[in-house]
Amino acid sequence: MSVTAPPPRSPYGRLMTGVLRGTIKLDVVINRIYPSDFNPLYYTGGLANLFLFVLVVSGIFLFFYYEASLIGAFASVQYLTERVPYGGIVRGIHRYAADGFIVAVLLHVFRNWFTDRYLFARDNPWISGMFLLVFGGFVGFTGYQLVWDERAQALTAMFLAMLRTLPGGAWLARVFIGGSGISDATIVRALYLHIGPASALYILLWWHYTRLRHPKIWPPAVWVLFCVGLVFLLAGVIPALSGRPATPAAQPTAFPLDIFFLWPFWLMNWLGAAGIVVLLGVLTAAGFAIPYLGWRERPQEMDVRHAGVAQVIDGNCTGCELCYYDCPYNAIVMVPSPAPGFSRAAANRTLLAVVVESRCVECGICIGACPFEALELPKFLERDVRARVLEAVQA
Amino acid sequence: MAALSVLFAFGIVAGEATDRWFFGGALVGALLIAYSVIILLLRKMGVVGPRKSER
Repeated sequence: MSVTAPPPRSPYGRLMTGVLRGTIKLDVVINRIYPSDFNPLYYTGGLANLFLFVLVVSGIFLFFYYEASLIGAFASVQYLTERVPYGGIVRGIHRYAADGFIVAVLLHVFRNWFTDRYLFARDNPWISGMFLLVFGGFVGFTGYQLVWDERAQALTAMFLAMLRTLPGGAWLARVFIGGSGISDATIVRALYLHIGPASALYILLWWHYTRLRHPKIWPPAVWVLFCVGLVFLLAGVIPALSGRPATPAAQPTAFPLDIFFLWPFWLMNWLGAAGIVVLLGVLTAAGFAIPYLGWRERPQEMDVRHAGVAQVIDGNCTGCELCYYDCPYNAIVMVPSPAPGFSRAAANRTLLAVVVESRCVECGICIGACPFEALELPKFLERDVRARVLEAVQA
Repeated sequence: MAALSVLFAFGIVAGEATDRWFFGGALVGALLIAYSVIILLLRKMGVVGPRKSER
């Protein structure tokens, strides 16, 4: 049994180890600029949550003024932007917070990928996080549809071209626009496809958090002020405005591009509709498959999963809940104690810790959390630790 | 930064008084960013910070 993990064997493993070291070095550099509890890279998930909250609040405001019809959609957005006090600012906030959300989510994805936080029991947050990214991207696209200007018309036509390359694409296209051609039903469906998946984001967030004991769901005040200030500032300096109103005769060939949401439509210039569908399918499948590709070392190869699932020593457990709060994998639950413990400290307990085996990653954090020696890793006992320390010292 | 914040606050009032909503909104953003910089500077100077137990 070696003391340090063996070096990665595969080229992918070596690459990811290099990226991991680079990420940690970046953390060190940023921690010199900001205090470590203000490091924004530690709060990428919280920042995404903040932007999502801003999106929901500003979106509710916009919803009250929006009219879901071919004629009314553009006019209502124009009225909101130009006539409603600070309506244009709220629209800009909604638009720039959406960009902020995608940027924060992408930073979160890459950081967790580069730091191997998708392995073992963390595949669950990874999968829910990928759903959040996909849903977020689609919600952004339908948001651009709702304005119903020439850009929205062109985007709708391009999206329909993508849908028609799929099996059953003609049916999907009919469902998407609500009939054989663009009508009021198209705008109503766009509104539903904007608000429905946006609401689903909170269900996905619940799934995302459910296996994490201490998720950092909100950034520090300094970043809340900065991010909210930034979207206000951008909304005022570079207002979010509509293009020319959509008309059946209009055939726009160029439109302003939001690179965070509309990049697939830009790539259609070279790849065509079918190429973009294939590209999006491959990227999505690869993103979901990352925890299961097996290119990273197996747990046995990494020499980390050999300790056995944590076990509670019934007689010593006092029901203090320290292990329950410290376990980052939600692998310990507290149940009513069926009988008192054996030790003096455990004699009056009311709760007993129980390890959920399927969630335990054998990290040993609970061992460190317990002051009563009531937990152990059965294949990695204290005497084994002592032997390994002595072995290392002698080496 | 505090003086700048006061300037931004006057700008917000001026924007509201003249119905220049984009101007006022942008200055709300500038004011919030100035506050965030003030908090960061106070933290770097050690005036505010984590509780002793968290240091």
